Amino acid sequence: MQAVTRQEQKIATRGRLVNAAMTLFARNGIAETTTADIAKAIRMSHGNVFVHFPTRDDLVIAVIDEFGRRLAVEFRQGLEDDLGLRAVLRAHLKVLAEFEPFYSRLVIEAPMLPPKVRSTLLMLHASVSYRLFAALERERKLGRARKIERPLLFNTWIGLVHHYLVNRDMFANGGSVIAEHGETLVQHFMTLVKS
Amino acid sequence: MAEKCISCGSCGMPMEKPEDFALGDVTQPYCSYCTDARGKLLPYEQVLDINARTYEQSQGITPEAAKRLARDLLADMPAWREHHQ
Repeated sequence: MQAVTRQEQKIATRGRLVNAAMTLFARNGIAETTTADIAKAIRMSHGNVFVHFPTRDDLVIAVIDEFGRRLAVEFRQGLEDDLGLRAVLRAHLKVLAEFEPFYSRLVIEAPMLPPKVRSTLLMLHASVSYRLFAALERERKLGRARKIERPLLFNTWIGLVHHYLVNRDMFANGGSVIAEHGETLVQHFMTLVKS
Repeated sequence: MAEKCISCGSCGMPMEKPEDFALGDVTQPYCSYCTDARGKLLPYEQVLDINARTYEQSQGITPEAAKRLARDLLADMPAWREHHQ
């Protein structure tokens, strides 16, 4: 029984670390945030951070993994209700909005971040690309979309979304750029792929 | 944040449904993509190629860059740590 409690505590501490890291990465930048900053934010000893995450990069990856997990849940729920491309785009944006400040920082800093962080982010993109393309193919079978190669389909969508996220201070007055412009981007993209 | 997330010890793919796991068995440490029909982990080079192809096909990344990304992705995975040391 005690072992279960300890395990639960471990999971809870890990969750607190990931939440604090996500907030500080978003506020101060990923490269600029230290593990000491994160420990201080949740009043934890610095050394204890490394019990859960051996390196700072592991913490960055844990936040990206959390984003990926939320995305997987949203896609799965979306697919149960609606197999359309529009639903996949909206599901993607819904999760992006939840992680918007962190994710925007991640996109800005990605080329400068350590290789394993970048490879994790790009693998997450691969899973979105797979969902988008599968949804497009279903639309094509119904005669509602034209043929588009998988990489260009994904790169067009992500390029559009990332432009708004990277320049979010220009497109939204301090709020969520996804909340403000997300639906317009979905409508625009649906027009682009229409047959 | 409370939900437990199990990921493949070879490639890091999140495993949620039984079919994500080797042999459809949720006690297996690796995913269905990184294992053969008997649930045995594929050789490193094969797993590397599968992941590199995923990068290439999903985003049009060049084969060379895709291979680098795959190598970076696998470097810290439990199954391949020794391979990289």
